[in-house]
Amino acid sequence: MPSDTISWQDEMEHFLRRRTSYTILPTPPASANASDLRALLFTDTPTQNLISVIGACLHNLYDVRRAQGIFNDLRKSEKSALLDVRMYNSMLHAYLEMARGRDSEDPEMWLDEAWSLFGAMEDGSSQVHPTANTYTVMLLAWLRHGPDSAKPIPSRDQRDPPQLLRSMIDHQVAPTMVVADRALETSEEASEVIQLLSRAAVEMGLSNVVSELGMAESLGRQEDDPLDNVPEAMPVKRRRKVERISVLHGDDGSVVGMQATEDVGEPQPDVPFNLETLRKHLAKVVFARRALPDDVAARQKLLEESVYDVAVERLKHTTDLLEELGLSNKALKTNDLQQLMWQWHAKLKERLKAEIQNVDKQEHRLKNNSEVKLVDKRRMVGLSPFLSLLTPEKLSMIVILELMHMQGTGGVQHGMKTARALLSIGKAVELEYKAEMCKKHNIAIPSAGRAPSNGFFTSLGYRDLQSQRLVAQRFLQDTEEWSAEWSQAVRVKVGSFLVDCLMDIATVVRTKTDKATGEVHSEEQPAFFHTYEYLRGNKLGVIKLNPSIADKISKDSVRGTLHPRHLPMLVKPKQWLSPDEGGYIYNQTWAMRFKDSQEQQSYLRRASSLGNLELVYTSLDILGSTPWQINRQVFDIVLQVWNSGERFCKIPPVSNDVPEPEKPMNWDTDPAARVAYLTRQRTYQHNKANDHSKRCDVNYKIEIARAFLGDTFYFPHNVDFRGRAYPLPPHLSHIGDDLSRGLLLFAESKPIGERGLRWLKIHLAGLYGYDKANFDERVQWVHERLDEIYDSAENPLTGRRWWTKAEDPWQCLATCIELRQALNSPDPHAYECALPVHQDGTCNGLQHYAALGGDAAGAKQVNLDVTDRPSDVYSYVADMVEEQLEQGIKEGHVEAIMLKGKVSRKVVKQTVMTTVYGVTFIGAREQIERQLKERGDIAAEDCWKASAYLARLTLGCIGDLFKGAKSIQEWLNVCARLISKSIPPERAEEAAENLKSLTRRRTRESELAKLKKEQMTTVIWTTPLGLPIVQPYRATKRKQILTAMQSVYISDPNIPTTVNTMRQASAFPPNFIHSLDATHMMLTALECRTQELTFASVHDSYWTHAGDVDKMAAIIRDTFIALHSSNVMNRLYQEFLERYKGYIVPVAILKHGSMLQKHGIKPERLTIKSFPADFAKSSEDSAAIATPAQVEEATEEDVAEAEVVEEMEDVEDVTDLEAKSIQHKKMSPTAKQTAKFIAAALANAGPGPLDHKFVELSSLLPPVPEMGTFDVNKIKSSLYFFS
Amino acid sequence: MTRAWRNLPFALTRACRRSYSESASHLPSLPPHEEWRRIFDTANNIKERACIKRVDTARLVVESFLGDKSPAGGEDKVVIEAFPGPGALSRALLELPRSKLRKLIILEDNAEYLPHLKALELVDTRVHVVPYSGFLWDTYTYLEDTGLLSDIQPVPWENGIHPNLHFISHLQRSIKGEQLIAQLFRCIPDRTWLYRYGRVPMSFLMSDWVRTRMAAPPGNSVRCKLSVIAEAVAKCHVSLKEELQPYEANFHPVASRGGGGKKPITKRIGHPFVAMNIIPHEDQFITKGTLDKWDYCLRRLFVLKSTPLTRCINSLAPGASILLKALTDPTLPFDQRVEVNKAPRGLTVADWALLVRAFDQWPFAPEVCACMSYAPTDAHCLACRTS
Repeated sequence: MPSDTISWQDEMEHFLRRRTSYTILPTPPASANASDLRALLFTDTPTQNLISVIGACLHNLYDVRRAQGIFNDLRKSEKSALLDVRMYNSMLHAYLEMARGRDSEDPEMWLDEAWSLFGAMEDGSSQVHPTANTYTVMLLAWLRHGPDSAKPIPSRDQRDPPQLLRSMIDHQVAPTMVVADRALETSEEASEVIQLLSRAAVEMGLSNVVSELGMAESLGRQEDDPLDNVPEAMPVKRRRKVERISVLHGDDGSVVGMQATEDVGEPQPDVPFNLETLRKHLAKVVFARRALPDDVAARQKLLEESVYDVAVERLKHTTDLLEELGLSNKALKTNDLQQLMWQWHAKLKERLKAEIQNVDKQEHRLKNNSEVKLVDKRRMVGLSPFLSLLTPEKLSMIVILELMHMQGTGGVQHGMKTARALLSIGKAVELEYKAEMCKKHNIAIPSAGRAPSNGFFTSLGYRDLQSQRLVAQRFLQDTEEWSAEWSQAVRVKVGSFLVDCLMDIATVVRTKTDKATGEVHSEEQPAFFHTYEYLRGNKLGVIKLNPSIADKISKDSVRGTLHPRHLPMLVKPKQWLSPDEGGYIYNQTWAMRFKDSQEQQSYLRRASSLGNLELVYTSLDILGSTPWQINRQVFDIVLQVWNSGERFCKIPPVSNDVPEPEKPMNWDTDPAARVAYLTRQRTYQHNKANDHSKRCDVNYKIEIARAFLGDTFYFPHNVDFRGRAYPLPPHLSHIGDDLSRGLLLFAESKPIGERGLRWLKIHLAGLYGYDKANFDERVQWVHERLDEIYDSAENPLTGRRWWTKAEDPWQCLATCIELRQALNSPDPHAYECALPVHQDGTCNGLQHYAALGGDAAGAKQVNLDVTDRPSDVYSYVADMVEEQLEQGIKEGHVEAIMLKGKVSRKVVKQTVMTTVYGVTFIGAREQIERQLKERGDIAAEDCWKASAYLARLTLGCIGDLFKGAKSIQEWLNVCARLISKSIPPERAEEAAENLKSLTRRRTRESELAKLKKEQMTTVIWTTPLGLPIVQPYRATKRKQILTAMQSVYISDPNIPTTVNTMRQASAFPPNFIHSLDATHMMLTALECRTQELTFASVHDSYWTHAGDVDKMAAIIRDTFIALHSSNVMNRLYQEFLERYKGYIVPVAILKHGSMLQKHGIKPERLTIKSFPADFAKSSEDSAAIATPAQVEEATEEDVAEAEVVEEMEDVEDVTDLEAKSIQHKKMSPTAKQTAKFIAAALANAGPGPLDHKFVELSSLLPPVPEMGTFDVNKIKSSLYFFS
Repeated sequence: MTRAWRNLPFALTRACRRSYSESASHLPSLPPHEEWRRIFDTANNIKERACIKRVDTARLVVESFLGDKSPAGGEDKVVIEAFPGPGALSRALLELPRSKLRKLIILEDNAEYLPHLKALELVDTRVHVVPYSGFLWDTYTYLEDTGLLSDIQPVPWENGIHPNLHFISHLQRSIKGEQLIAQLFRCIPDRTWLYRYGRVPMSFLMSDWVRTRMAAPPGNSVRCKLSVIAEAVAKCHVSLKEELQPYEANFHPVASRGGGGKKPITKRIGHPFVAMNIIPHEDQFITKGTLDKWDYCLRRLFVLKSTPLTRCINSLAPGASILLKALTDPTLPFDQRVEVNKAPRGLTVADWALLVRAFDQWPFAPEVCACMSYAPTDAHCLACRTS
């Protein structure tokens, strides 16, 4: 329906052109003592520690007194705004429990504390508002200790139910939510609470509340669906008297009052009130959806909830089995991985029990030590509360599984970096504890898949999405117990405690046969050991696995070591409700992957609460709801290959099959030959290690695929900080390698149709590597090879193995099978196909650049323009490079001769692709070296030189080719540079004052250093979908944490540090482009959902069913056009103006005058401000006032030096600087330009010294580069734009 | 480099015109000291190097290297001189009579220095200037291939110091200098490089900092891997120290005003230099073929240089604490046992030898490959096997 298409496009374009709502937070304060409002948004680590101690102390009422102490301290401090209402509720709950019996000596005190805290919440003096949970707890307090209770305890601030109900209504808390709250433990209590409230409501004459509660009551008595079909399983019905509440109507039919009467009639059968049922039904009402089919949901919950318990069971089972077989007697101790882990576990849990008791005792002793001040005691963050959160069994399993799983990470062979390992184990403990909290109340989970009736892009539809989400979010947050986020230090300490215990007890018996004598040696060795390695000159603590363990991981079953957060889900992922609520059911995940940046977290929270993220959340929900299955036919082949243990299609063999390099004859005498040999040996060792880790990786994938055979499953997604979406499971997903992709199919199949069949063929040609020809040629190419394709599908291993030579062999095999089945079916066009067919952007980054700049020449290169055959940038560049090689050969370069004829498309491809993302020379050289090594026709010892030579040529060629992209790249770069040097207006006075304090003995360096300290502004922008992107690049501040094993340096994301100007600037262009391609993907996902297409994406590769490719192709083009018709660059400029309104740049640190001028900044037009504003009048500094002429002179030198200091931080090799400073003394042309530029700017700014002058950022930002002539609408008819 | 060759005649005349006579020598003189900085500092790649500039100091150095009192002295010498700079030391060497110095092979690849060295080749037939860097293995292969060393007779190791062949070099101040000398030491046990000819003496002008590290005795805070290797393979004699002070008067380049930046003072330009003679031991602690194991044990254990062996030995490999048994075996004679409460920094070379022996005999010792300690930046560079 064309009319339809037009309307959705209009809606989308309209949506994209709307005024985006920005998420704006203050720039973090430059100095720690800036105790203004901003401090509230940025938690500091000590506070975070204290909060997490409260959480741990409250758990199981471990140490409520301590929690109380810290809590009250915090409430009094200026950090009180950081305390969240759920924490208050936890406190209330704990007080009540203490009064109930834990502390029989002084129940009055606890109850008083509870009521007075409630009072503070109620009257608003504590800055939090009571929630349903608050009221439930207080009602329980009344119920248990009120005047009519079994154990009355009078309390000063006590409120009766009518007072509570009144407050509830004032705070807009629904009584239904109160009576279903998690604080209620039994159905009896719930029922009694309903009674209490009903009576109060009757007294107060609140008829709507009465009927609401009546509904809740009846919901609680409703029977469950499954029971309907099974009459004989009807629950016991009992007879009891009930109070009847009826509404009294006036004569005119209006409600005039309520009446409670004793039921006088026949006692009637009664379904017992059941809290579970109430909650479940309530959830249904809240989410307006059907409950999940029970068995799948149950399996998913089971899968997630009991991983560590299941692991224990499985290990025990394996061991028992072996014991039965008589295999585990001491002499014949087998080293089966599962059994070993069981042995460790059995020892470790006992060990932990004892050690935790020790820690407990020690900390207790310290606490009772009278010499330590009370305040200090509370500030101490001991380990014992945290270790008490989980059982020793669980702690033991966590540390064993996590350590096993982390092996081979961080570039450490057979091991891992200590710091990272300790952190992630601490984090695993934290997450497991949170998951336990989550599970406790058996919460119903809202699942994804909502689509508003008005379309995603109308304002009605948008609001619809938001209100749906908010309801679900409130419900969930209220049902979950509060638990605090741990600080890095706590995580590391917990991790270190556990690892230390494990390393002490985990051993393995190793045997080895002496090659010469045949003697068998046997030794008991530690399974893990701690050591140090030098990585790029840095001493790095690592934990390594005993070689025999590492060996087993690549061979034995690894099932036991997988955590559910590494697995796909059996149900649709939990809908994204808030930044940390969504995806897996019990395992907390974030909607964004942060890079240790609290700022990113703050922005995401803020954006979410402002309702700016609805479409981002929805897109993630859509991506997560795509159902998948394992491709059984491919899986069988993979398994066969795996079990054979041979090298096959990128699956490495069990035992190494490459011969070791031979020692040259002159090894002893010729150092050069020796070095050459060592290089080869090193490459060989490197490959061997690679094979090992590859094999481990494949092992995981096969294990997961096996576990999910026959299931429909889903991949929960989140985004990186630029907004690009990734599936959460790290091992098997469609974003993975060729093997992973080959193993996956959509769960649903759709008829392929005539066009789909054609697309399937084109897809096959592409996977084989034949993707440069036009579509007809590709189809023809497939037709010519049908014989090979059939042979591949029918006899994948025994036939001619045509598919193994494909570029993507496993996907090629899957496609061969599919194509054969389609063609062999009675009606090929009716064949139902589940294979995803891809549409890939050709050099997508450049496509966006070309569209942004309207660059016609660039557009042609990357298929934005209409052509009859696809153009291929990579081959084009490869040819250019080959041409230059000819020149190099003429000049006699050895490298050129070595490389001649070897520069294929593949060698330069990655470099071309990544130049748009700002690849550096070093990066390019490494990419090219990898490719050369893979080719294998250049000796290992020559690769370094050859790649350096080639990288230089390639980068040169690319620079010539894409001039269009360059101007936009430069503009983005300049903007980022200026922004990251700017200072928020509220800091201006202080910055100037700070400088003033330097008046005695000031040097240029000290001034600039002061100014540099003020550079806290990071580059932030909003994607067209509303996601705020915050660049995380700041100076790293690491904190040392002493652990038993080693001291660990970890960065503390809570300390705001100055921005890294260089990285802010160089990373901005690529990040910006990524934020655009992410937006394009999400728009496409949303529209695919509307048109009911199945959709999956790998960044710029979009997948759908073969039969739907035409539809998707149209959507891809329309969304791209809509995106780029919304004037992206101008909107970015506008956002900068608004976001950084009032921000100023010190004139003293301005650089690149000529660059600014080139971008259209006229120095005369700059707005200059002086700080302090009355500076010129201040007589004390009158000597410092200079005439413009003097300023000019001074500037020249200052600027020259400024540049040196600027660079000082960026250049690592300090010795180079001396040379530079010498050069700059002579004043480089750029410095001269800048000096002139500044002098011109200051000409009409009035007198005053340079360091009190600031330029308004808004007047400094250059205008957006002019658009070229290319019209994006042409893309509609470009065949090869995405193909 | 190639261009420098092409332009040689021009460069040469220019160099000669600038020169002035500092000594009565028949050799072409060098430019006055104060001009060195302007003439030679145009490229930054020689910043890390240092070379002597005063001819009279150079004479003292030559005397301390080849004179009668030097343990490395002798007659009829064939000297390979690496990193000569413009050649003050080379000139002093050439002042020796032919009976003392038979041949001087100069290795220098810096285009700014080369003309001043080539000038020597023209006036003295003993001089052979090879325009390659002393840092590259290929340079030494080149010496053999071109027959420059064909008149050198190999002398069996047991027959004392090689009577003719002698290696002399300025050592770079940066880490590269330390790497170079560490690498040359490493050639001794397996008798590669020039040691194929026998126990060739070496003489260096090096930063006092490197000397301190090389000579640090057990227990000293700067004791390091280099100290152990140096002690294990050769005897090092400092031949001049005070005579070379102050640095600024005797060496090029000198520090620019306020330069040096954040570098530690020991690596800055201006840190004192010393002269040293190095004579390989006749009896080597490091037996043939075990160098890689020495490297491995030293590298691993020096990471935890002040942790007692009992605790740090496990970082060698899992289960390595079993080696402690072998090291403290009461059945062994006392001098074959190691005090395992000592930290790696406190171990003597003899201790290390025992430790490496135990490691060698341990069946579960990890397979140690030389390639593990080698970073492949440039396969031809001498110092690439970092220590």
